[in-house]
Amino acid sequence: MVTQFVKCPTCKTTITISGEPGEKIFLTCPQCNQKGAFTIPEEKSAKTIGTNSATIEVNGLTKSYNHFKAVNNVSFTVNKGEIFGFLGPNGAGKTTTIKSMLDLIHANTGTIKINGIDVRLHGKEAKKYVGYMPEKVAFYDNLTALQNLRFYAEIKHAPTEECIHLIEEFGLGDTGKKRVGKFSKGMIQRLGMARAIIGNPPILILDEPSGGLDPRGVILIRDKILEMKKKGTTIFVSSHILSEIQEICDRVGIINKGVLVAQDTVAELRKKLNLKPQIIVTLDRMTSTIENEVKKLPGVETVKIQGNTLEILCDGAMKAKVIVAISSAGGNIVNIQTKEPSLEEVFMRYTEA
Amino acid sequence: MRTNVFFSIAKKEIMDNIRNKWIIIVSVMFALLTLVVSYFGSIFSHGWQDLGGTIAAMMTFVEYLIPIIALMLGYATIIGEIERGSMSSLLSLSVTRFEITLGKYLGLAAVLAFTILVGFGVAGLVIAANVTNVNYIEYLIFIGATIIYGLIFLSISLFFSTLFKKRSSAIGGAVLIWFSFLFIIPIVFTGVLVASIGLDKLMVGSVPNWYYGLELFNPVSVYSYVISLNVVPLNQIAQQNSTVTITYPSFISNWLLLLILIIWITAFFFLAYWRFNKKDI
Repeated sequence: MVTQFVKCPTCKTTITISGEPGEKIFLTCPQCNQKGAFTIPEEKSAKTIGTNSATIEVNGLTKSYNHFKAVNNVSFTVNKGEIFGFLGPNGAGKTTTIKSMLDLIHANTGTIKINGIDVRLHGKEAKKYVGYMPEKVAFYDNLTALQNLRFYAEIKHAPTEECIHLIEEFGLGDTGKKRVGKFSKGMIQRLGMARAIIGNPPILILDEPSGGLDPRGVILIRDKILEMKKKGTTIFVSSHILSEIQEICDRVGIINKGVLVAQDTVAELRKKLNLKPQIIVTLDRMTSTIENEVKKLPGVETVKIQGNTLEILCDGAMKAKVIVAISSAGGNIVNIQTKEPSLEEVFMRYTEA
Repeated sequence: MRTNVFFSIAKKEIMDNIRNKWIIIVSVMFALLTLVVSYFGSIFSHGWQDLGGTIAAMMTFVEYLIPIIALMLGYATIIGEIERGSMSSLLSLSVTRFEITLGKYLGLAAVLAFTILVGFGVAGLVIAANVTNVNYIEYLIFIGATIIYGLIFLSISLFFSTLFKKRSSAIGGAVLIWFSFLFIIPIVFTGVLVASIGLDKLMVGSVPNWYYGLELFNPVSVYSYVISLNVVPLNQIAQQNSTVTITYPSFISNWLLLLILIIWITAFFFLAYWRFNKKDI
């Protein structure tokens, strides 16, 4: 479902329509009763989006404060249409990197290109493509949610009507004349996400977007991120909470103490670190035969026995064979649980090293 | 046609100051000041003074008050927004730092000009309805010169709002600026004058021309020259039963004074931009 704004050719009233891409919609202008038809443009197909054309390129980025290198020679690329997770503990240099990407902070060395445009040299042009949600979301406290969003929409040259929809969409429709200064942290955060997507930017840069949100807010933001990805938006999202990132990211970069220590797909990172899934099998009765049979299997790393429960660490491909072996050794399986290695573990290994 | 981004930013500054009631409060304050001074301010007569007399009576107030108002309006405009966090979002948009500086200055300048115009203007109309001798032109010159005078301090405060890392230091800077231009610099200038020609010569009333030149470096004096040159009761001194018109050195002209005021405004505006442009947000 796509929402579009069309201007009536006779009286210039803006009309909101929604439908599927390619769908022809017949409409009547509410102002002047002019009748007309409008075809919603097709979304850009995957073919037209070159998978290798990077939309964010960071090359050799370094930023020092006195003698402290907050970001040290960081390079990465974010490809069109992907969600790139930028992970690291607090104080690792995530926000410094993000702020440098938008030239809020002037980097000492390195180049940053957005859609191939150098941010340092042609910031105004490059930033046209970006929607940004800062770590510390702030608005003009004296103004209402709508007045605030309208201000940003005006600068982004986006239709100001869009703001009303966004406010509704993010559950702030009933705030009316309330000053943003009186909003709760969660409301501010949601309004921050709404602000970032004004004008449907092709690139979204989100710095810890779910910080300070309740679980419902977290889900709202995550769904919005996935919805934007469907539209073909390139998304760069930073976090120190890994569980929420690993489900949505195509690739991740891990930064620690200003250095980018890893950059890969979630699956690749797991493979490289040789992290294995864990199977927890509960039996009605444990025997030593079962233990020995399981331990004999190739690809099984460790077997831990706790009462009637077996905790087995093994190759992903061996999971089914382990279960069969237990069964044929006479084990009566009551319950099976599998735990995939989380990014948390990947992250801990990289940041502890 | 698409509106320029600095107009959007200016508009937002104006809206902000309407919402926090700054415009109303300061306009009412200016109007009350003028009316009170006009009605009660003269020691020679009772009731309303004419516009020229009112200006003469409240010149000192205005000289001191306008810088405070302008500094208050602008001292936190950039640092406050950085500290609050809204600057990162503003700068992430497709705008240059020059457009932000210009937009903010234009918006605040409009707020300041509006309050001066409305505050003094409304009071002027009330006075004009109550006196016989109505010298509109002089009063308009007074309002115009006062706006320009305010814009200088707004420009200085814009610069100060980029100079410090914290809002609280910026307010200290603003107080220092006010104190310097209204007390320290005049005292230093007077000190230089007394030291160089001696108090005895000064007592008989001969102020050397170079002193007038020196005073041109202080925008407060420049503003008071503009008013003195153009508003009748201020350029005359009552001497026994006649009045004597004060004469200034020939190099002091309206054009020179106006030029100096504009230089102050632009110089500090560009200093503010230069500082802001270098800043990490």
